[in-house]
Amino acid sequence: MLKIKKLETGYGEKQILFGLTLEIREGEIVALIGPNGAGKSTALKAACSLLPVWRGEIIFNDNIINNYTTAQKVAKGITLAPQASRVFGDMTVMENLEIAGFQLSRREFANRLTQIFEMFPLLKERIRQYAGKLSGGEQQMLSLARALVPNPKILMLDEPSLGLSPKLVNSIFNKIVDINIKTGVTILIVEQKVRKVLEICHRVYSLKLGKVSFEGTPKELVEDNLKLKNLFL
Amino acid sequence: MLTQLILNAFISASIYILIAVSFTIIFRVVRFFHFTHAVIFTAGAYFVFFLRMELSFPFLIAVPTAIFASALLGCLIELTIYRSLRAKSTPPLVMLLVSLGIYIVLQNIISIAFGDDTKIIRSNLITEGFNLFGARITFIQGLTICTTIILLLLLVLFLKITRTGKAIRAVSSDPELAAISGIESSRIIIWAFAIGSAICGLAGILLSFDVGMTPTMGLTALMMGLVVAIIGGLANVSGIVLGGLLLGLAQQLGIWKFGAEWQDAIAFGILLGFLIVKPQGILGKNTKKATI
Repeated sequence: MLKIKKLETGYGEKQILFGLTLEIREGEIVALIGPNGAGKSTALKAACSLLPVWRGEIIFNDNIINNYTTAQKVAKGITLAPQASRVFGDMTVMENLEIAGFQLSRREFANRLTQIFEMFPLLKERIRQYAGKLSGGEQQMLSLARALVPNPKILMLDEPSLGLSPKLVNSIFNKIVDINIKTGVTILIVEQKVRKVLEICHRVYSLKLGKVSFEGTPKELVEDNLKLKNLFL
Repeated sequence: MLTQLILNAFISASIYILIAVSFTIIFRVVRFFHFTHAVIFTAGAYFVFFLRMELSFPFLIAVPTAIFASALLGCLIELTIYRSLRAKSTPPLVMLLVSLGIYIVLQNIISIAFGDDTKIIRSNLITEGFNLFGARITFIQGLTICTTIILLLLLVLFLKITRTGKAIRAVSSDPELAAISGIESSRIIIWAFAIGSAICGLAGILLSFDVGMTPTMGLTALMMGLVVAIIGGLANVSGIVLGGLLLGLAQQLGIWKFGAEWQDAIAFGILLGFLIVKPQGILGKNTKKATI
């Protein structure tokens, strides 16, 4: 579904990714793990056109989409729930969802909203509340819901557990699995809580200094503690 | 005397508020000091002058056409100059210098075309005035206050209710998150330029009906509008309205007590005071310092 081939990018003149190659197949949950500064979030940003591709290719359903804008990628079915539960704090929950459905027709949005409220019933009770006043867990739910509103084919999650209590982390991870099973949406997840993400993903890539240092199944890492430890050294 | 002072404050505040609101709409989405806004203000007035005095258009056609032309001028500047510079990730300081350059070029074009002397639009709109609670107000001054109130209400409704209005708020609040939501910011920026420039052009027209026009009128007006925008917090309409009323009232008090030559000093004195004591503006919230 999504292939990233020999991707090179960075911030300003500072290069972060040095020939990153990944493949995400339809229906999978794929985890991107690795130490801080490995380039995990950078890879997601480049895939969403928030950073320019210096060299390499991003291929989605056999089409090269390097030059697509972020909005065009959303229209194609690629969405991102960014780090730190980013929501429009000065807008209500409903307005946040409306903005997320900017490309949908009124009818499509109404249909999506029904499905979103089935997945996140708590948000329905909070529609008039300002997003900035929600708790951390609720903001993360809203961030997830926002990324799902455009009915994506692939959903990218950048550290969805960041800043949440252990109880809420479990709840968010359960929700991610639930979304994958019920909607069939492919998920690419960047996460620092490695053991947690290994419990839910089908395949895993580990990054080190902007390159893939490991590719395999979560089982290979869960059963080999030393290998897992070495990935973070 | 007090009634007249308050009324005068409302009249000057109305123009300041229109400039501040129109400047803020554009500033919040492009995030650089759009200096050329000053010449849009001037252009609005001169468009009406040209259409009315040179082409003898009736007011009811000249004024809407001039407002449309102001919006078009703002959009053209964005499309032909700013957009290509933004694509090259030009820093805000360079963008400011570019906008200053465009302002100077356009202001000189107006000077060459119409001369530097004060131009008056002869109109039966300018009358001797009438009494309002013991204070005197002309028809055009009353129209300025009413237009400002109606425009602000329409603008708030537009930003709150319509899809484009919400998208403008989203891009203003967090451009990256707006892009992730599927919003093409370039489309929204054009909307902001069209709305901001139309309001600014209208403010220029209203002021020119009252006191006439010169090619440099926009710069002084923009400076006052900026003071209001900054003390209003460069964010919401209510902050800007409070900022405008505060500045209008302070200036009128200053004129009454010390003379008209002090009004600019009073405006920038208030600005300095706010920047030192409450830099986030009247309704802005204090940001807490992060602790580790």
